[in-house]
Amino acid sequence: MARKVLGNDPFGGDSPKPATASAKKPVPPAKKSAAAAKKGEKKKPAVTQEAPAITAAPAPAPDSPAPSMEKAAGAEVEEPSLESVIAQLDALLDQARDPAESRPLLDRLASRLKALTRPEEERALAPAPAAAPVLDDEPFDAARELLGSDYYLRRWGQTAIRDRSEEVDDFGLDPEYARRWQPVWDLLYDRWWRVEVEGIENVPTTGRVALVANHSGAIPLDGIMLATALRKEHPGARPLRWLAEDFIFHFPFAGAYLNRLGAVRACQENAERLLRKDACLALFPEGVKGIAKPFRERYQLQRFGRGGHIKLAIRTGTPIIPVTIVGAEETYPMLFQSGRLSKMLGLPFVPITPTFPLLGPLGLAGLPARWKIVFGEPMAMDAYRPEQSEDIVLVNRLNEKLRETIQGTLDRLLRARQSVFKG
Amino acid sequence: MGDGEREGPTMTDTKDHDAHAVTKVTPPGRVVALTGADGFLGRNLIGLLEDDDRVSRIVALDVERPATAGRKTRFYKVDLTQPRVDARLAEIFASEQVDTLLHMAFLSSPTHASAWAHELESVGTLHVLNACRERPVHKFVLWSHTILYGASPRNPNFLPETHPLRGHSESRFLRDKIEAEQVVASFARSSPGTLVTVLRLAPILGPTVKNYLTRYLGRSMVPTVMGFDPLMQFLHEVDALAAFKLAVMRDIPGVFNIVGDGVLPLSTVIHLTGRIGLPIPHPVMYPIVSALWTAQLSEAPPTFVDYARWLCVADGDKALRELKFRPAFTTREAVLDYAHSQRMRDAHLLRTTP
Repeated sequence: MARKVLGNDPFGGDSPKPATASAKKPVPPAKKSAAAAKKGEKKKPAVTQEAPAITAAPAPAPDSPAPSMEKAAGAEVEEPSLESVIAQLDALLDQARDPAESRPLLDRLASRLKALTRPEEERALAPAPAAAPVLDDEPFDAARELLGSDYYLRRWGQTAIRDRSEEVDDFGLDPEYARRWQPVWDLLYDRWWRVEVEGIENVPTTGRVALVANHSGAIPLDGIMLATALRKEHPGARPLRWLAEDFIFHFPFAGAYLNRLGAVRACQENAERLLRKDACLALFPEGVKGIAKPFRERYQLQRFGRGGHIKLAIRTGTPIIPVTIVGAEETYPMLFQSGRLSKMLGLPFVPITPTFPLLGPLGLAGLPARWKIVFGEPMAMDAYRPEQSEDIVLVNRLNEKLRETIQGTLDRLLRARQSVFKG
Repeated sequence: MGDGEREGPTMTDTKDHDAHAVTKVTPPGRVVALTGADGFLGRNLIGLLEDDDRVSRIVALDVERPATAGRKTRFYKVDLTQPRVDARLAEIFASEQVDTLLHMAFLSSPTHASAWAHELESVGTLHVLNACRERPVHKFVLWSHTILYGASPRNPNFLPETHPLRGHSESRFLRDKIEAEQVVASFARSSPGTLVTVLRLAPILGPTVKNYLTRYLGRSMVPTVMGFDPLMQFLHEVDALAAFKLAVMRDIPGVFNIVGDGVLPLSTVIHLTGRIGLPIPHPVMYPIVSALWTAQLSEAPPTFVDYARWLCVADGDKALRELKFRPAFTTREAVLDYAHSQRMRDAHLLRTTP
């Protein structure tokens, strides 16, 4: 009995709101029997509170505004004068101001609030009066059984987190959440930026690999686009994790959402752990310097950190694939930085671009510059022993080589490009 | 140790009750002594060790006799906040021929009686270690916490045992425990004859344990920090007990993170428990929690808000590798098991309250 109720009514609702609305519905037919039969029931005060409100609501409504309306209508037939129009308007105003009219809304709000704050009681007891109003003990025992069942837990959990999976991986990627956002990234990838990909076959299908890319555009969506490119174009549809700078990772909302989508806070320990699990990892060694540079310095690679990514690759024997992204700089051309705002928000910079923050969240899409992503030849790190990761000279040499490779590809692509928007 | 409040206020050191009646014989198995024996962990461990043939005697040290004490258990009323307690402990260790000592006299939840907590945890650990210096034991096991690493935006996703303990310096709850760990570490260096095992447990959840966390998640509206959704890691109470039993049975010194597998975002934890999150912007969260804590309406002082903002997740690989500890429950299963019992409790409350 209880299970049937559970199956179709309060828990079948997609969100707390429909659930409470549907839980409210059976109240008017049940209220008489419930009020009559069950004096000691806990639900009763709520029912009786609701009952007069509902009966009172329609009763005065036709009572008070109707005569004035009639009068107004009658006056209109006799003589369509200024007075009649005023009377009509008065009546309308009365109707709008009448507390009886607005009370059901308030009641609805109140009951909804109550349902929100005490979900278990409401849910447990809502089916009880409707289901078996005769016996005192029986309905409650049914509810108790229901509360203790795994089924209840699963359903209740699901209604609350229907858009998220119940499990995330070690670094917080929520597969369900990421899947829900895929259409948005696909739209941006296919229609808005019309991303062109070159050399994706350089990315191996299995085994650890580090993609080192230039960081660009004041609002860094390049990690997500790189992940989309691999998902759509790569034969193995390799899942990609990318490292995000601290400031974005710990910014309210942004960090929490990015984490669910697959970003990982940039630090050596995290990167090493991911690579030891044979992940495909994207790194942006320029870091904040790469995305905070003004538009006139576009496509000029900044310092590649202190070579942490090279040390990491040597230590874990990970091949590095240089990745060049063209187009992101024109997507979010940073006009200037707002110093005061960034100090207020505790960010290293707040970009002012032609679209952001003028267009709000929509401005995040930026300008429809055409993107091109080029995956270069892998740099194998097998030749080095793990101890050599401490060899500063070697690390610097490799780092410089990697940087020159990416800068060279950038220059080649920029020379070949005819137009920013057409590619 | 689930309900640290059980340790009760300070009491005078009284004569042991039932120990002198038994004649002294060298036992064939291990003799395990527990401080804080009437806490959640102590109580349940005594019950587990009672059933284990490899343990011949259990010495329970606390201010209250644990209800699980059975045939093998001898109870001594010991209050670690008393000044001369170290001599008495050494005396007990000698007379009972204790070879393994589990030091678990710690509070599981923050308390307002911080001066007393300091005496019990920080100074009490000193007393216990002094007793171990006077009459060495074979093995010393300390109950510690992964929250001592501190929640910080700089933390890697998985904290190794080598990470410094950087718990909030203003939190006396954390500071006392960090001090206890420090004196135990220096004891381990200076006393090579004693194996020292430190178990850093992730926050414990389960059907019967009670601590600040179960009370926090037991609220109908669970306050969270707006815009932050850190990954959380929990340990099921059964795994917590299993880890201590393993540490008693195996002689493996070192520091180990004892954690459940997997992580969950705080919002998912709240949804799984069937509660509703109440996001509050962090600039006002600290003053609100501070006011509630002063009014004794909050489970934890404002320093604990950090754990709802930043990561504090430990890496349990070393325990798996060296201690061969594999948790039976994942983080998610621990949450579900806790939520399940909460639901039964809610149903019970519904029935009993008019």
